Amino acid sequence: MSRPLVIAAAAIFALVCLAPVAVMAARVGVGDFEGLLAGRTLDLLGRTVRLGLGAAAVAVVLGFPYGFLVARTDMPLAGVLRPLGLVPFLLPPLFLAITWTAVSDVRGATASVWVLGANTFPLVALFTARAFERIDARREEAALLVGGLGAALRMELPLVLPGAACGACLAFVFAVNDFAVPDYVSSVGPKFNVYADEVFASWQGDGEAGRAVATALPLVLLTLALLLPALALRRRGALATVDGDFRTPAPLALGRLRWPALVFCGLVLVLCAGLPLTRLAWEAGGGTRGWSVDGFRSALSRTLDLERTFLANSLVTSAVAASLCAPLALVLGHALERSRRGRRLEVLAVLPIAVPAILFGIGNIALWNRDVAFMAAIYDGRAMIVLLFIGRFLVFPLLITSGAVASLDPRLEEAAELAGARPATRLARIVAPGVRPSLVGGWTLVFVLAMRELDAAILVPAANGTVIFKAFNRIHFARDDAVAALCLLIVFFIVLPGLLWSLFGRRRLEVIA
Amino acid sequence: MTRAIELESLTVRAGGRELLGPLDLAVERGEHVLVVGPSGSGKTTLLRAICGLARPHSGRVLLFGERVSDGPRLLVPPAGRGVGMLFQGGALWPHMSVRRTLEFVLARAGTPRAEHRRRTGELLELVHLEGFEDRLPSTLSGGEAQRLALARALAPHPRLLLLDEPLGPLDSELRASLLARLAEVQRSLELTVLHVTHDPGEANSLADRTLVMAEGAFVAGEERKA
Repeated sequence: MSRPLVIAAAAIFALVCLAPVAVMAARVGVGDFEGLLAGRTLDLLGRTVRLGLGAAAVAVVLGFPYGFLVARTDMPLAGVLRPLGLVPFLLPPLFLAITWTAVSDVRGATASVWVLGANTFPLVALFTARAFERIDARREEAALLVGGLGAALRMELPLVLPGAACGACLAFVFAVNDFAVPDYVSSVGPKFNVYADEVFASWQGDGEAGRAVATALPLVLLTLALLLPALALRRRGALATVDGDFRTPAPLALGRLRWPALVFCGLVLVLCAGLPLTRLAWEAGGGTRGWSVDGFRSALSRTLDLERTFLANSLVTSAVAASLCAPLALVLGHALERSRRGRRLEVLAVLPIAVPAILFGIGNIALWNRDVAFMAAIYDGRAMIVLLFIGRFLVFPLLITSGAVASLDPRLEEAAELAGARPATRLARIVAPGVRPSLVGGWTLVFVLAMRELDAAILVPAANGTVIFKAFNRIHFARDDAVAALCLLIVFFIVLPGLLWSLFGRRRLEVIA
Repeated sequence: MTRAIELESLTVRAGGRELLGPLDLAVERGEHVLVVGPSGSGKTTLLRAICGLARPHSGRVLLFGERVSDGPRLLVPPAGRGVGMLFQGGALWPHMSVRRTLEFVLARAGTPRAEHRRRTGELLELVHLEGFEDRLPSTLSGGEAQRLALARALAPHPRLLLLDEPLGPLDSELRASLLARLAEVQRSLELTVLHVTHDPGEANSLADRTLVMAEGAFVAGEERKA
């Protein structure tokens, strides 16, 4: 390990990821805890937890069978459906909310739970698929010999459940952090306010953060209680790949169930991505006024002209944040995995996502909005957005990379050390190429999350210039073909890097490890 | 003349458990010493402590008369000890071709860039891998991969070669061929070899001496050649 590199990366991590959390924690006074047990606060927390658990349950119901079918069976089109299964997660959940409330009468808690579950099911599917793939063929064959497919599945279930649980924990975290979906759903039906939009409202009202932080404490603890086991499960999954004697299992034969399986996966995709995208395309092409190709094309081209600056702003800031995260993740992920105390520091690494996103945004305001020239320059400019994105999302590439390093044989680095390669050279020439799919996967994940980020950025003035913020405002004030076209353009640019990699990349993107 | 390896009361610990020692060992220059023992007996830890990849808990390691570690202090870093190691399973860099693997090591060893091609050619000739320059490790057979690992270990001109189960994944024909290559290389380069394996039959013909290891200590030794 290169000590200067690790110290520099850790200092950046502390400033960008931990300092906003620390600033918020410092603002809490003893008096702020007084309202913690008030009925209203408990109701709020209860609703937020119900939302998280409900969304995680939906994600498991859809994602577990989806992951199994695309990864381990002879279902037709499994190879195509596997990458397509990621698409719902790439869509900003707000877009799912506006389309589902437009095509159905579902409102309130049910709508929020469904939308966030549909949005996060790919996380469960991804972890489940990976867990199924890690089962050695010989173990499965032994079970098949004694009792056929049923016995094989019974043997495999305990091995894959931890992976699925890890995905479900992440689905919970994404759901309880979401601000835009409950906010929008509440605006078109009965109010279903959760923690995030309550903080948004109170911050806009009185700008007082101490009570908000104190109120969030149970939620933070609950999130950590779910994230830490998820991390342990993820690590166990990563280590399962170390075995050099591994034999890839053959696809399980579904027999007559092949076509019903395809229908199930197709239906899941239609409900979670196809329907929302079709609805947006229909609205962009004229909607109730009558759909036409010309109308659709014209709406896209007008919107592209009108919102070019916002789109460019989002693309640049997201790409810069993702590009800065990659080297930081490499250095810190490697240190986390290879150092003796690294694993204990993982709890610090996940802190920025354990804290509700909206509080993380307020923490950034408190940290950077100061009467110091250079800080004011950062706060008012694009740099603020980049810092916010890095602070919020660095944890993902960091964990992905550390997982990939765990599966990298340490002897590869030792052989280079023995050959005289310095720590930085080993990192760049031996480790980085070995974990490249994870670095690219981490880059893509940060880019995607940054492009759709609203939850932490909603209160930060510099983020007003992002295209998703623009879409959020326009959705609330008008629903026309231009809004739908803007949503479609955002989706296109979010999907673009993953699409390019799928077309030209020789290896699969690793967004989990 | 000083000895190639001298271990004085060497111990290695991990997680509060003694993995090795206390061990004393003296290996003469040019000697080929075979260390046999069951899995988990401390053979690999012994090699790692000698080359500096594992930090000793106590004791001393001297290589060619130079003290390279004293207690837990590593006085000479692994790359400065003049040691080549053939790792168990090869540990080849999967993203580097045969040529790039050797050039990477040559560059670290300070070989001028202009000489890389010539030296790579020499090394490949030595291990009979000519014509494999642009192949990736994943496209090599077990025997070819082990010979590349041997070439990599020899690239920085080591005086001491450490072999960690070098014949493990190979069939009997390939074992015989690699052993012959090893004998040839040792003779031509006048190397000292410390060779660990779980298979007592392995390399018996090459070894000057066989030591038996169990639970981190030498439990028996045998002089084989006059």
